[in-house]
Amino acid sequence: MFIQLLIGALLIGSVYGLMALGYSMIYKASGLLSFTQGELLMLGAFIGLTFYRYLNLPFPIALLITIIIMFFLGLLVERVIIRTLIKKNASVIYVVLATIALSIIFKNTAMQVWGSRVLRFPPIFSVSSIKLFGIAMAPEAVLGLGISIICMFCMYLFMQKTKYGTAMRAAAQDPIAASVSGINVSLTTGLTWAIASALAGVCGMLIGPIYGVGISMGALIGIKGFAAAIIGGYGNMYGAMIGGLLLGIIETFAAGYISSVYKDFISFTILIIFLIFKPTGLFNEKVIES
Amino acid sequence: MDKVRKYIPLILSILLMVIPFILGRNPYIILLCCLIGIYIISASGLDLLFGYSGQISLGHAAFYAIGAYISAIASMRLGIPVFLAMFIGAFSAVLISILIALPSAKLVHHFLALVTLAFGEIIHLIVANANNLTGGFTGINFVPSPQIGNLIFDSNRKYYYIIYTAVILFLLLKQAIVKSKIGRTFIAIRENTHAANGLGINIMFYKVMAFAISAFFTGFAGALYAHFIGFISPETFTINHSILLLTMVLFGGMGSLSGPIIGAVVITILSESLQRTGSYQMLFYGLFILIVLLFMPKGIAGKLESVTKFLRKAVKSSAKN
Repeated sequence: MFIQLLIGALLIGSVYGLMALGYSMIYKASGLLSFTQGELLMLGAFIGLTFYRYLNLPFPIALLITIIIMFFLGLLVERVIIRTLIKKNASVIYVVLATIALSIIFKNTAMQVWGSRVLRFPPIFSVSSIKLFGIAMAPEAVLGLGISIICMFCMYLFMQKTKYGTAMRAAAQDPIAASVSGINVSLTTGLTWAIASALAGVCGMLIGPIYGVGISMGALIGIKGFAAAIIGGYGNMYGAMIGGLLLGIIETFAAGYISSVYKDFISFTILIIFLIFKPTGLFNEKVIES
Repeated sequence: MDKVRKYIPLILSILLMVIPFILGRNPYIILLCCLIGIYIISASGLDLLFGYSGQISLGHAAFYAIGAYISAIASMRLGIPVFLAMFIGAFSAVLISILIALPSAKLVHHFLALVTLAFGEIIHLIVANANNLTGGFTGINFVPSPQIGNLIFDSNRKYYYIIYTAVILFLLLKQAIVKSKIGRTFIAIRENTHAANGLGINIMFYKVMAFAISAFFTGFAGALYAHFIGFISPETFTINHSILLLTMVLFGGMGSLSGPIIGAVVITILSESLQRTGSYQMLFYGLFILIVLLFMPKGIAGKLESVTKFLRKAVKSSAKN
C-alpha cells in the first residue's frame, strides 16, 4: 500500500511540479499570473489522445507532436494576446482576466471538438501491471514518473547549460540589463510562455492514460499547480518542483490514510496557509509588497 | 446640465418602480430585471473593494454563497423572519470576510487573487460537502419568501420591489461611502499605499474594512437571490460566478457608480441571449470577454469617456472655426 501510494504521490506531485514550473517561469518573465495552464494540460491530453488513439501513431511520436503543437500554441498566445494587451498598457488584472477568458475558450473549444464525455486513453503497454521490487503497479504510472523526471532534468540542463536558458534567466532577472547585453528579451519572453505551454501538454499526456481525458481534467490541477508554486516560493523554478512533489505526497497520503473527501480541501488550505504565514515559500522568494 | 444631473437618480428610480406595470405581462423580463438588480448590488460591492481600494478578489462567489445559505438556513431552521435572516446572512459574510482579510490584506495583487481564489474553492467545497446543513449537491429547496404583515412577496413582480428598493439603498450607501473620508482613504490606498501610510492612514484597518463592506453588499445580494429563486445549490457559487462579477465590473468600468450597473445589465442580457446558442454559450462568452479586453481595455465606461472627449474636442474646434 505504502509504495503504491508513494508512486501515485510522486506522479501527481511531479505533474503539480511541472505546472508550477510553468507558472514560475511566466511570473519571472512577464510578472503575470496565467490561468491558462490547467486548460493547456487538458488540450495537451486531447491532442495526444487524438494522435495516439485515432491516428495510431506510436506513443513517443504522439508525445513529441503534442509537445511541438503545445509549444507553438503557447507562443501564439503570448504573441497575439498577451503582447497586444501589454502594448496597449492594459493593467495587469486585464491580462489576468484575458488568460481566464482564454481558458474558457480552450475548454469550450475542446468540448465542441472532442465532446464532453471522459475519453479513455488506450493502454500504452500490453501488460496491465508490472512488478517492481515485488509490488504490482501500472506501467503507465511508472512511465509517467520516468517522463516527468526526464522533463525536470531537461529543463535543468536547458536553463543552466544552454545559451538560450542563460539568456532567459538573465532576461527574467533584469530585462533592461539583459537587452543591453544583446539578449532578445521579447524572444525569451515568448519562449517562456511556449515552454510553459509545452510542459502543461506533457502533463496532460502523463495523467491522461491514468485518469482518462475529459474537458474538466485541467481545472483543479491548474489551481493546485498554484499551490505547488507558492509552497516552493512563487517564481522559484526549483522550488516549484519541490513544492509540487511535497503537495503530491501530502495530498495522496492524506487521501489514502484519512479520507479522499478532504483531498482538495487540504491543497487549498495549504495554499492559503502558505500565503498567509509564509508567502515567500520554502525558498524565500520575494512576493510581498514591501 | 448640473441641474438635470441632480434629478437623474430620482427619474431613474421612478422609472424602475413603473417598469413592472409596463412589462408586467412578460414574466421573463421581470425575472431578468430582478437578476440584474441582484447583480448590480453584488458587482457594486466588488467595485468598492476592487475599483476603489485596489484589492482584487477572485472569490466573491464565496460571500454570495455565505449570504444565500446562512439566510436560507436561518429562516428555515430557526424560523427567523426573512428580512432579519437576510441581514444575518450578510453580516455572516462580513464576519468571514474579516477573518480572511485580516491575514491576507498584506498581499499584493496576484497573491491576493490566489488567496481569494482558494478561499472561494474552500467555501464551495464546504457547501457541497456539509450535507446535514446545506443539503450537499442537492441544495436547499423551498427557501421561503419574505413577508411584511399579511403581504407575502411570493411572486417575481412583488419581489421586484424588494430588490430595487435594496438596489437604490445600496447604491446610495455606496455613494455615501465613496464621498466620505472612508472612500477617499480607499482611493488613497489604491493610488499609492506608501504615501497613504506616510499620511498616517492605518492601511491594514482600511483594507480589511473594504473587504467587510464589499462582503456586506455581495452577501446581501446572495440572500436576496436565495429568497428570490427559492432554490440554492453549490453549482451557483463556483469560481465562474466570481469571474462573472469581475467581468461585470471590468466591462462597465471600475471605480464608478454607473460602471457596475452598466456591466450587470449588459453582461446579464448577453449571457441570457447566448443561452440560445446552446453548448456554444460559454465559448461565445469567453470570446466576448477577450474581444472586449483587446479592443476596449478600459471597459465600456472608459470607451464612452474617450468618445465624449473626442466629441467635445470636435465641438470646440468647430466652434473656433
